Amino acid sequence: MAQSPFDIELDEITLAQARRGQESACERIFRAYQQPAYSVAYRICHCRETAQEITQEAFITAFRKIRQFRGDAPFWGWLRRVVVNHAISTLRRSPRDDAMEFQDWHATTAGEQEQLGLAMDLETALGELDAGDRAVVWLHDVEGYGHQEIAELFGMTESFSKTRLSRARSRLRLLLEGAGHGAGLNPEVAAADVSL
Amino acid sequence: MNTTKVYNMQIARHRQEDPLNLQSLPLVSPPRDGWPAVAAALRGDARRRSLGRYAAGALAAAAVVTLALGLYLRGPGHDAAPAEGHLAGEGPASQTMLAPADVAGTTTESGTQDSLDAMIALSQQLEGRLRTIRADVGSLPSSAVVYQVELEDLVVQVDEELSRQADSLPLWNQRVALLLDLERLYANSLRREYHRMASL
Repeated sequence: MAQSPFDIELDEITLAQARRGQESACERIFRAYQQPAYSVAYRICHCRETAQEITQEAFITAFRKIRQFRGDAPFWGWLRRVVVNHAISTLRRSPRDDAMEFQDWHATTAGEQEQLGLAMDLETALGELDAGDRAVVWLHDVEGYGHQEIAELFGMTESFSKTRLSRARSRLRLLLEGAGHGAGLNPEVAAADVSL
Repeated sequence: MNTTKVYNMQIARHRQEDPLNLQSLPLVSPPRDGWPAVAAALRGDARRRSLGRYAAGALAAAAVVTLALGLYLRGPGHDAAPAEGHLAGEGPASQTMLAPADVAGTTTESGTQDSLDAMIALSQQLEGRLRTIRADVGSLPSSAVVYQVELEDLVVQVDEELSRQADSLPLWNQRVALLLDLERLYANSLRREYHRMASL
């Protein structure tokens, strides 16, 4: 199972304080999960401003409903669900797209530069996908969602998720081949430390 | 050797779950800090909750004071029937009379729970008051007994509902209203009895 970028442990004290509405605890939670939340929102809607709005709305919803979190599963999973739900419903209402900006991506060594090039091509290829396909492939391959969960999120059947995943992967492969890469990034290379 | 095998298996599984290695893409940073907007929304919620509690408390206080005033004005001590000592404000009935100040003391500004507590307290005081009146007055005239039985049946029905929903404010409101009706029935019957006796 893929390890989600959301998989960050939260201590019980902070959680209990947030349940009581303590603002400083809410801020600690926000700071801890803001980046993975924004990332998944961005990967789904592919628009920086919309992702920012989704992230803020999702955290507001999460803090308002934090008493409903029963604690029978990790907090990050519950929070991720809130963010993904917001992102999917935003996608349904107004699918928007903008191009990824790479000005913050830096590489110093030759190895890092190669990885940077691969990542940029992959990012660009993701941007080329249909919004629904991109959401499905991201949720399945990166966040580790199963087909049934994805189907529930979209209010569709499992075969919808399977079809979309297959189509998204094929399209990504084609786009990467066009960019001069075989089957995406090599996991061995990707496992190395990079500062993008 | 084994380590290599395990590593190869992990690579194979990784390729199956994430064949394009999307996980290698870095997290994306938001264009600006989103916390101020989130904090502002949460503070707005807190303000609304606080206002809501204040409004509910004020409404509860107003409702209880109105009820208490109603009780005070309709009470036997205020009927124009000073024939019996108890009804003239000297007996036990007048001692259990609800004064607005006493009732106001049972309310706070902490919302529905306080309204509920106030209603339960009022219901208990009315029960005590009715017990005293019954003990003092004895049985009602036959013309009033029908209504008395009907009202008491309704109180029993409300009590049955309350056994299932003990914290239902509407049910407690209903119970208090029925007890007030019973109390009024006694007061009117006694007034009629006084006039009848006075005309003899």
